[in-house]
Amino acid sequence: MSDFVNEPLFELRRAPERETLLAGLRALDPELPLDVPVWVGTERRSGDAIVSTDPGNPERVVANAAAATEAEVDQAVEAAVRAFGAWSSRSASQRADILMRAAAWMRERRPRLTALAVRECAKPWGEADGDICEAIDFLEFYARGAVALDRGPQLFQVPGERNEMRYTPRGVVAVISPWNFPVAIPTGMVAAGLATGNTVVLKPAEQAPGCGLMVVTALREAGVPPDALALLPGEGDVGAALVRHRDVQTIAFTGSGPVGLEILRTAADVPTGGRHLKRVVAEMGGKNCIIVDADADLDDAVPSIVTSGFLYAGQKCSAAARVLVHEAIADALVERLAGAVEVLQVGQADAFGTDVPPVIEQAAQERVERYARLARESGRVAADRDGVPAPGWFVAPRVVTGLPADSPILHEEIFGPLLAVDRVRDVDDACDRVDQLPFALTGGLFARNPHTVERVVRRTPVGNLYVNRPITGAMVGRQPFGGNRLSGTGTKAGGPDYLLHFVEPKVVTENTVRHGLVI
Amino acid sequence: MAAGAIDDEILAVGRDVAARFPSAARRPLKALDDKAMDLASQDDQLRAALFRFVDVVPACRSLDDLARHLSGFLDEVPEKSQPLEVAMRMSNTKAGRTALGAASAAGVRHMAHRFIVGETPREATKVLQELWRTGAASSVDLLGEATVTSAEADRYAQRCAQALDELAHVYDGLPGRAQLERDSMGALPRANLSVKVSALTPLLRPDAPEIGKRDAGPRLRELLRRAKQRGAHLHIDMESFDSREAITDLVLELLSEPEFADGPSAGLVLQAYLRDSPALCDRITAWAARAARDSPLTVRLVKGAYWDHEIVEARQHGWDAPVFEVKADSDRNFEDLTVRLLEARPHVRPAIASHNLRSVAHAIAQNRRLGAPDEDLELQVLRGLGDDLQHALAALGLRVRTYCPVGDLVAGMAYLVRRLLENTSNESFLHEQARGVPLETLLAAP
Repeated sequence: MSDFVNEPLFELRRAPERETLLAGLRALDPELPLDVPVWVGTERRSGDAIVSTDPGNPERVVANAAAATEAEVDQAVEAAVRAFGAWSSRSASQRADILMRAAAWMRERRPRLTALAVRECAKPWGEADGDICEAIDFLEFYARGAVALDRGPQLFQVPGERNEMRYTPRGVVAVISPWNFPVAIPTGMVAAGLATGNTVVLKPAEQAPGCGLMVVTALREAGVPPDALALLPGEGDVGAALVRHRDVQTIAFTGSGPVGLEILRTAADVPTGGRHLKRVVAEMGGKNCIIVDADADLDDAVPSIVTSGFLYAGQKCSAAARVLVHEAIADALVERLAGAVEVLQVGQADAFGTDVPPVIEQAAQERVERYARLARESGRVAADRDGVPAPGWFVAPRVVTGLPADSPILHEEIFGPLLAVDRVRDVDDACDRVDQLPFALTGGLFARNPHTVERVVRRTPVGNLYVNRPITGAMVGRQPFGGNRLSGTGTKAGGPDYLLHFVEPKVVTENTVRHGLVI
Repeated sequence: MAAGAIDDEILAVGRDVAARFPSAARRPLKALDDKAMDLASQDDQLRAALFRFVDVVPACRSLDDLARHLSGFLDEVPEKSQPLEVAMRMSNTKAGRTALGAASAAGVRHMAHRFIVGETPREATKVLQELWRTGAASSVDLLGEATVTSAEADRYAQRCAQALDELAHVYDGLPGRAQLERDSMGALPRANLSVKVSALTPLLRPDAPEIGKRDAGPRLRELLRRAKQRGAHLHIDMESFDSREAITDLVLELLSEPEFADGPSAGLVLQAYLRDSPALCDRITAWAARAARDSPLTVRLVKGAYWDHEIVEARQHGWDAPVFEVKADSDRNFEDLTVRLLEARPHVRPAIASHNLRSVAHAIAQNRRLGAPDEDLELQVLRGLGDDLQHALAALGLRVRTYCPVGDLVAGMAYLVRRLLENTSNESFLHEQARGVPLETLLAAP
């Protein structure tokens, strides 16, 4: 097996590569809407209980999906239990081969998959391309990781005994995935489960069933047995039914904090007849802060803050929500930041150069606008604009300053293009404010004194700290990703120890002494 | 002429130029700088520490703050020489930090002044006039912070317009310099300004060149009008590969507009380190042949100043680098492009910009081989790096133009760091020259 390398993004600065993606979109559009069935074993039941539409044009239906029933949840889990024996008995490298075939399946269809993410979730081209590449990376990375894990760790050995440690799959994994990385995140969680020998049931976000279908199709086409991977489109009730199901041993969830906490509470109860402590791998929200010290180079800091806060309309768990800037340069920063936000390109995801596409749905648009009203009432909106494109769930990108310390805008996850800037006395003051937050996902620091950098590294609670660069765009294998505190269970997707959450350790000690002799 | 004959000619020209380099004894301060840079280039960690320090100087708020940064960076150098140990000890007390801060600030300012000729074109007047008197023309470049807002783009455009006005005065009443003012293709403006498209718009997007062009276009058009009105030359610099498509298309489109058919004199840049530069060269020369403009398009041929950036970006994204990874390949391509540009006259005016004696001698020799007069070749150098070469070329009666950055220290730091990096790179020609590599080796074909 070759060494892992990240899938190279399209080089969109070259016109022919842009044309490749546009051709993918032209090929996809006539095929919409996709039909997304409940897909258990070889049974496919179509339906249109769930309709996913283009956030930039709600008239355009991207996918019609069936919604799984309680009975179908049971069938999917039963199938997964049935398939577990055979799938878990395959060797790690056999499973890895299948995952890498799924990666190849996606690689061959990158323009089409990218176009689907553009349409279904309004990810601008570059972001959508990143999503598909990350999905490929997860398949390749976990395939290799599972093979390495299968060798087990070295234990201390003394004469007369043989000690061996192995990791075995836990059973059935329920994957509940979000819409903002509609291909990468479900692929990552599903791949981690399958690579380690578990069987999986996927419940994709109701906003992105079409992308969820692609994930399951890729893996099934690559050779994952039908019973070992089911697709259950649906709303929250489908996820809830999976979480409390007696035979689901592991829940891999990425999504909002309240849902994550509910999952953790439910999972703590062992259902009647259950024989496992359910394990939850949860990635939840953030309120990510970028600290800007007085010696920061604003030429770098401003574009990086804009990238972190506004690309994909701020709808990434890693996105910047707050800037904590040293008072000595606060005015200059706010002026330049506001000016930079004013020229952001708000537009359709399928137009190259768009920075701020529409948000995912009407409810999201309303939520962000509610916070924007609050910002106007209680602070100063430094960058705003009249009028956004229509149709579509567009929200103007905004920068707000001068908020009172207890403002909800400074504490709640908004998940939209609204960035709050506060002035701080110094870096320690900034660290104190970060420390007061319950979230600890990503963080940023712009500072050039190595002593300052070291101090912040020691103090920060966040799972991913980025120094003198944007705080989004974690790459598999390079920036293992995940938060601490209420942001998650401290797992690191795309990192060296992620797979450990999907396995149980088993130690075997064998006596090799017989008749006083070591045999 | 056979390959051997041209190589003999290059060697002869190179020796001729080298013989006219000013001796180090006459320029003691520069010799000291060279020594400091030589020292830095021998120790990568020290070099990194010093560059990080130079880079942060404008952002430091006090001498104390300066000294704290310096000691912070030096802390990361594992093996400290005695002067560094002294600096570290000084940083332990407030008085020591003030002294250390003052000394280091003076050092950086001194270095900056070697590369940056003044805060405004008006303040640079003396330097620019002195250059003219010693036989060197100039192209002024306005250093500035990055443009991230529309207001900043407007401000930069405004500064450029003002510079065009001021430059006209700088060169008023200076004595005539035949080789700097005319070639067989016509008159050459004395005032010459280099501008950056990335400073004329906050919207240069690698994946959407149209957006940047649309935004920068009106500002650049105004500058072309002003240059025409002032009889000045406007040169549009090239930057990283991310913006190349936008810049090339924008410049050629604007210069095709009927109002610019009779001026101003204008130009753009061809970067020889780009693998696809021969194709771009063809495109530019074909355009120039078709363009029916009164003055030929000046094409400044450079190796390219963003090599590290291009390599890093390509590696981080898993792309093939757009640049040659081996320096000799860039050097060879530079020579090929030199010949192509010389042969594309009279539609283009080649301006060969290099500090590499071999590249320069090659251009001079090829020009002569083609039977063209020396005046039909322009050579360009950077202020602070190519000073000796500039003197030697001027002494030979060749047309040399010195690229002169103008701006304050804050704005100049990015430029300064790039120049320092170049100067201390172990592959740099200047470094090899300073190390005393024999002339025959320096002049050998790449």
